[in-house]
Amino acid sequence: MRVIIVGAGEVGYHVADRLAKEQHDVVIVDVAPERLDYVESHLDVAVLEGNGASPSVLARAGLKDAGLLLAVTSVDEVNLVTCMSAPSRAGLVKVARVSNPDFYAERSAVQPGTFGVDLLINPERELALEAFRLLQSTAASDVVVFAGGAVQLLGLWVAEGAPIANRKLSTIGAGEHGRQLLTVAVEREGETIIPSGSSEIHVGDHVYVIAAAAEIPRALELTGHRHEKAQRVMLAGGSVETFYMAQLLQQHGLDTIAIVEDRERALELAEKLERTLVLNGNVTDIELLELEGVGGMDAFVALTDYDETNIIASLVAKHAGAKQVITLVNKSDYVPLARRLGLDAAVSPRLSAASALLRYVRRGSVQRVATLQANDAEVLSLVVTPGSPMVGRPLAEAGFPDGAIVGAIVRGNSVVVPTGRDALRVGDSAIVFALPDAVGPVTRAFPT
Amino acid sequence: MNPLEVLRVIGVLLVATAAAMVPSVALAVPEGLLAGWLGAAVLVGGAGAVAWIATPRIGGINAREGVVIVGLGWVAVVIAGSLPFIFTGVAPSVSAALFESVSGFTTTGATVFAVIEDLPPSALMWRSMSHWIGGMGIIVLGVAILPLLGVGGAQLFRAEVPGITADRLAPRIVTTARLLWGVYVFLTGLLVVLYMAFGMSPFEAINHAMSTLATGGFSTRTASLGAFSPAIQWITVFFMFAAGVNFTLHYRMLTGRWNAWFRDAEWRWYLASTVGVSLAAFAALWVEQGNGSLDLLRHAVFNVVSIHSTTGFATADFALWPSVAQVLLLGLMFVGAMGGSTGGGFKVVRAAVVTEHTRGEIMKVLHPRAIVVTRLGRTAVRSEVVLNVLAFLGMYVATHAAGTIALAALGSDLVTAMSAALAAMSSIGPGLAGVGPAANYGHLGDPALLVLSALMLLGRLEFYTLLVLFLPGVWMRAGGRR
Repeated sequence: MRVIIVGAGEVGYHVADRLAKEQHDVVIVDVAPERLDYVESHLDVAVLEGNGASPSVLARAGLKDAGLLLAVTSVDEVNLVTCMSAPSRAGLVKVARVSNPDFYAERSAVQPGTFGVDLLINPERELALEAFRLLQSTAASDVVVFAGGAVQLLGLWVAEGAPIANRKLSTIGAGEHGRQLLTVAVEREGETIIPSGSSEIHVGDHVYVIAAAAEIPRALELTGHRHEKAQRVMLAGGSVETFYMAQLLQQHGLDTIAIVEDRERALELAEKLERTLVLNGNVTDIELLELEGVGGMDAFVALTDYDETNIIASLVAKHAGAKQVITLVNKSDYVPLARRLGLDAAVSPRLSAASALLRYVRRGSVQRVATLQANDAEVLSLVVTPGSPMVGRPLAEAGFPDGAIVGAIVRGNSVVVPTGRDALRVGDSAIVFALPDAVGPVTRAFPT
Repeated sequence: MNPLEVLRVIGVLLVATAAAMVPSVALAVPEGLLAGWLGAAVLVGGAGAVAWIATPRIGGINAREGVVIVGLGWVAVVIAGSLPFIFTGVAPSVSAALFESVSGFTTTGATVFAVIEDLPPSALMWRSMSHWIGGMGIIVLGVAILPLLGVGGAQLFRAEVPGITADRLAPRIVTTARLLWGVYVFLTGLLVVLYMAFGMSPFEAINHAMSTLATGGFSTRTASLGAFSPAIQWITVFFMFAAGVNFTLHYRMLTGRWNAWFRDAEWRWYLASTVGVSLAAFAALWVEQGNGSLDLLRHAVFNVVSIHSTTGFATADFALWPSVAQVLLLGLMFVGAMGGSTGGGFKVVRAAVVTEHTRGEIMKVLHPRAIVVTRLGRTAVRSEVVLNVLAFLGMYVATHAAGTIALAALGSDLVTAMSAALAAMSSIGPGLAGVGPAANYGHLGDPALLVLSALMLLGRLEFYTLLVLFLPGVWMRAGGRR
């Protein structure tokens, strides 16, 4: 499929990367030649210099054959006009990135279906939502929800004294490690494997667990964590993400403090966020953080625009005793670093946006997709169709692609966590954990 | 500053004042007071007409001229309004006549007359009429019916309408002024009909309706509303409360937004304090008298609403209430009604802003780096507005102190001096002790009456409009030498 991406920023670059690797024909349009040079030298995509909102530029980018137009510049208005400039036709999906909260207000004219936009994506809000999900299950480094929350994937660090530690997975079996809970991946020293029954779990491992909603407290317990709900949250930075995050926290009745460095921005946020206490100060000012009781916080979320500031602020908060620390990290190189430094979870606007976009790009059998922070592994929700070679055979014999595992099957209103003896049926949704190399084979195994 | 333009507009206002005397002139015929009334009306109308017609129309009005017109206009109108009391010999002195006129136009309702029933109907009508004109504002009336005030109308409007903002109901200020007066006339008419339906004579119904909607307080009876049935008193409670509400809310409500009152943050404060203080007063009276009754509740609610809306009617002598209830009433005298209403006082909206701002300051002690936004409901109040409100608070307190000192120096006791100064500034009418609902202001002497007249005007025009007249800069020509 031909994909036109307008805007070669962080979001555009990352999505282009993913789509090119999945054998799509990607054309990136941007006004900045130096940015395009960078893209051309790193990715297998075509580049075109010009204003993406101009019909002639879009035509030169091959709009008439395109199946997807992604307008993802950092300016909402440009993205909207770009979608308006491309005539609507069957077979073309037009997506606009719109971040300004005002456009999502009640009675806003910007809706899917207006301005020639089929789909709106909001990376900042996606990120806030992701951080908020992490907050709700305090100990998790990753949370992905499926089937409206009936099934969740959790990334968890195995803590000292965890019941699961130093044991083979098979021995945790039936009694303890019941049918509603499955360890789909283990990450150790930068390597991710899909475990078998004989794999052993150690303290310090990072495990990915797929569980039915009711089993989540048990998943936390097995890895040595307690299930606690956050009540007091401190946000650092005055970014758009902070706004969305504070709004979510307010709506759920959590006590929220936001520390904002820029005075004007602090005033703006204080006016918009009624029930959030907004402070003006340096987010790495230890004295200020302590005065405001960072040690007593259930969670600290660093959301400034600078990775380095976020990491330092998170370290300060962690040291002071904040229970959970979530750090916004833009540069993917910093993600493992953040983990080594002992920060609980990292979130990336790029990945959040890419996940949101890819969810819609991979249409057909793929219903939902999430990319994991640490290893680029993906969690896919796939519809089982009659054409699939997997139907009707026990999973152990079906020849499921290597590097992938079915973590859960959503069948009607019930959730089955499968063993090798379970088989997929037509109409099921299979929730599959796949390492990067296995994503292609998995999607081919579930044709539309 | 263009004196001719100011003179011309004041001329227009005087002609309007003379026109408002027409009903009294008609009533004066059977009383044998025609000469005095006709003399006053012709003098005021004639002087106004000369000023209006003889001065050339030059152009628009700038901000400074607007303030001067409102300030001087009010002075001219209250002097004109005192003439009938002097010419007919109804008032005991010139100062008393001026006091009665100022009390009327500022919707205060304080009187020098001990026995109201002795006054001729023409004078009673004029007292109510002056309330009614002063309530919505003679300048706003001028803007509404006389488009000749031109583009400067907005300046005048803002200088006369009380409160921190003058909301526009329509993009054009003339339309806004007309809509407000329309609502005012409609509600007054509605109340006249209700009063008559519940047994008032047409004359008394018209007088009381005008007095109620203006949050005035002049009655045709010495016993005020206490002379009428409980049903009439309950109706009055509702309309006094309504008159203390921002009239733009009434307009919105009457045009179909049924929840306009409830959606307004200032209105919720107003309701909360009305209900809270009413219940507190009721409880205090209950404890004192040993038993509660519906009559006692009626007295509590009626007098609290009367004070809060700055009307000044009374059904009971609240100067004899338990002292806690009296103190609460003093508090309400200070706060007064809502901005944009016909009532006076510090205004609920300003009290709310001060309260919220103070809460923010306490927050800052706990969180020194906190950015605290003062909010009214969900809307943030700009810090310039907060500062303006705080300055206004200072002005209010200082003026009240000066007034109290002056009255005490002229021989009043402490409670009388304090409450009289506050009742005058907040355009209430009755105060406590020597000027309570059962007493009147006649015994204070002419100098005290003049002090109170000044306080009433200052309070009604919210200080600035009147005080700028004493700044030499105001009288300089704009644009340098010509």
